[in-house]
Amino acid sequence: MSNLKKYPLIEMKGVTKEYSPRKRFFSKCQNKVLALNSIDFSIEKGEIFGLVGQSGSGKTTCGRLLVRLEEPTSGSICLNGEPINKLKGIGLKTYRSKVQMIFQDPYQSLNPHLSIAETILEPLVVNGLGNAATRREKVLHTLEIVGLSPADDFYDRYPHQLSGGQRQRVAIARAIVLDPDFIVADEPTSMLDATIAIQLFQLLTQIRKRFDMAFLFITHNLAAANYLCDRIAVIHEGHIVEVNTANNIIQHPEHPYTKRLIQVQPGFDFNG
Amino acid sequence: MLKNHYIQRFLKGWKIFIQNPLGKMGVVILVVFMLMALASFFVPHINPMYDPMTGIDPDIKISTGPSLTHLLGTDNVGRDLFAQLLEGAKVAFIVGLSSAFFSIVIGTVIGMVSGYAGGMVDTILMRMADIIMVMPSLVILLILSSLFGQFNIWIIVFIIAIMRWPAVSRVIRSQTLSLKHRPFIEASRVAGASHLRIIFRHIMPNVLPLAFLYMTFRVTSAILVEAALSFLGFGDPSQVSWGMMLQWVWKSGHMFQAPYWLIPPGVSISLLTLSFYMLGRAMDEVLDPRLRKEGQS
Amino acid sequence: MALLSIKNLSIGYQTKAGMLKAVDNISFELERGRPLGFVGESGCGKTTIGMTLMGLLPGNAHILGGSIGFQNQDLIQLNEDQWRRVRGKEIAMIFQAAMNALNPVMRVDEQVIEAIVTHTPDISPADLDKRINELFDLVEIPRVRMKDFPHEYSGGMKQRVIIAMALACNPKLIIADEPTTALDVIVQDQILKEIKAIQKAMNTGLIFISHDIAVVASVCKDICVMYGGQIVETGTREEVFRNPRHPYTKALLGSYLSLDNELTVVIPDMRETPDLTLESGCCRFAVNCKTCSSACKAEVPQWIDISGSHKALCCDETIIRNSHE
Repeated sequence: MSNLKKYPLIEMKGVTKEYSPRKRFFSKCQNKVLALNSIDFSIEKGEIFGLVGQSGSGKTTCGRLLVRLEEPTSGSICLNGEPINKLKGIGLKTYRSKVQMIFQDPYQSLNPHLSIAETILEPLVVNGLGNAATRREKVLHTLEIVGLSPADDFYDRYPHQLSGGQRQRVAIARAIVLDPDFIVADEPTSMLDATIAIQLFQLLTQIRKRFDMAFLFITHNLAAANYLCDRIAVIHEGHIVEVNTANNIIQHPEHPYTKRLIQVQPGFDFNG
Repeated sequence: MLKNHYIQRFLKGWKIFIQNPLGKMGVVILVVFMLMALASFFVPHINPMYDPMTGIDPDIKISTGPSLTHLLGTDNVGRDLFAQLLEGAKVAFIVGLSSAFFSIVIGTVIGMVSGYAGGMVDTILMRMADIIMVMPSLVILLILSSLFGQFNIWIIVFIIAIMRWPAVSRVIRSQTLSLKHRPFIEASRVAGASHLRIIFRHIMPNVLPLAFLYMTFRVTSAILVEAALSFLGFGDPSQVSWGMMLQWVWKSGHMFQAPYWLIPPGVSISLLTLSFYMLGRAMDEVLDPRLRKEGQS
Repeated sequence: MALLSIKNLSIGYQTKAGMLKAVDNISFELERGRPLGFVGESGCGKTTIGMTLMGLLPGNAHILGGSIGFQNQDLIQLNEDQWRRVRGKEIAMIFQAAMNALNPVMRVDEQVIEAIVTHTPDISPADLDKRINELFDLVEIPRVRMKDFPHEYSGGMKQRVIIAMALACNPKLIIADEPTTALDVIVQDQILKEIKAIQKAMNTGLIFISHDIAVVASVCKDICVMYGGQIVETGTREEVFRNPRHPYTKALLGSYLSLDNELTVVIPDMRETPDLTLESGCCRFAVNCKTCSSACKAEVPQWIDISGSHKALCCDETIIRNSHE
């Protein structure tokens, strides 16, 4: 236990990701696209870490690497100091039960053919946890936590009967039902209205506090990151240009790109 | 408890299905033909002369029109046409459903595996599908049966199924490809689900409507292929099918003399294939919750 | 005289669940040179208003009543032929999805030429050339890029082409429906500046539709806040955003995250989506309103004047009057 202590919960060390276009006949050169260029950062237990960048900056790729939906070209990712790149079989399954993901589009991330219960049950079933009765209990409990109450009402519904905000709550429930240590939240509110989004932010903060989970919050909205995160990394064209506490990033940006981002944020100056 | 859940689901689906006018019509036509197919088992027991193949009315020597004893009339050797039509319905169901079922099962599994696995597996399976797809199934059947003599009906069913899965697998594969990168599939991967579970739990329910839709097309085409084969004289000689009836009416030179002989099998073929098509469309709505009306599920 | 004046407009969508009143009894006026912003969340009817003004409502939409006065004619009475003369020429639209609004197999300048020629078929080649160059200068696309295909453009440049196409015939009214939603903040900043500059230079009427209150506030002088098909509060941007009165406007402002701590975050408790099948005139916000009394659900809300052009729609006058902070 003591040697676990000195490692951060999750750590990216020199992670690079290249996409090479599919080889075609007659094409001589291969233009490789460098999505991520030696990314380093670490996230501590119970921390909300913001990754802010514009579309095409590589922020989503970063999240997908962390949950092993994609493999890095080079570099390593460590959970509690142990590299995860080579994990297979049982090892990978254990890792997946500790690291979960919330996707951007709640209309796409729930299988329309599965009921809410079946959706949230899936992680429990594939990891062989509990029996039918305890699983049901767990799902109902999780539904209550994410604010879908009375849980019995939602248990047997289907995604198309829910609003976008409710669907995203189901997606959050699916992510936390295994009590993971770390959750990647990839723009969880960018498809939702502001009044709904802020309620989801509140929910994420509550969950963090209650279960001491760490989050990687991926967003294009600096203000949202500022509101939610302890620390923020600004990513631009595959490079992390600046990492600092949320307050410092906003108050004392150092990199010109960060300064530009802050400057163009629409505000309520009524002079235009 | 679990059984109950599936029964409930089926009843729910049935309710939506039957509210659809197409589904309703399809079911009505289908039920009529099913009753006909069932009746074919009993009719020979009423009177041996109603046996579609061997029953001959001793009083009749030439083809006659409808009468009380022979509702649709008789063919030129005195066999009852109505009994033949009933028998034809049975054969059409056997040929249509079983060959469609086999080709759908083969096509769906190959399509899903090919789309999900990608790479080498995909290339090999799809080239195989291409090769089979460009072979004209009717001509192949004709060549084979002229080589080996007339086939038993089950061999015909099997050959039709083997010839017809590639089109299904292509459609299922492309659907699988678009599903593969959908967030809900990735969410399931993140949750730790195995490839088999993803294919059968997440991809299959999403491609089933298409598979069912294609099954109706396969039923249609299988019935038509069998009818064409029989009409050309290469059918199973021990079975009375609608195609066979058409062959007999043509061969005996009654094509333009006996409309009561020519029209019923022709109309039956069209109606049965139409009803399967309508069923497919209505089934689509049952299997895809997004097509349903509010408050119906 | 106002450029556009809408009175008691109601639009419904015929669906299997019944008639959805996407726009319920809306009235407003638009002057040249005073951009009007519609702000609200998905399903509030703001896009339906834009589509109505372009005569592009889908087949299941019905105009249930009201009038749209534009240049001495009522747009509701127009038939498709007459619409074709108005659409694009008098009223133009900047669409949201710049990526999909351009034809991928046509060169960019050809698409702008098409927009011009459709409405002025007898334009001389020399004039056409001049006009094209003017437009590309106006939206700041270098002339060497005019002959490119859309896929060679970045998202921001595509949006500029869309703006150029909207401006092609010198329209009197421009409707911008979420023109920057799909863009990065840096590009958004440039496009917003451009829209503002062009509006000022050409002195056109502008209706700006967005879900983002800060974006609307930076472009528009007048604001309409919409909820569930109704305008719930209207006034100048200073009035509405500095001194919000309607509970929904407050919720919207309270959930807005900004970098300068100008607005304090107040987490709203809004769980329900508005019921659009409700009878016309009912308060749609009642399901989510904390100050709502039982009377609210029965009564018809009234416009309550606060000051000048600032007014809010509510059943309870005291709530609106006393809610000043």
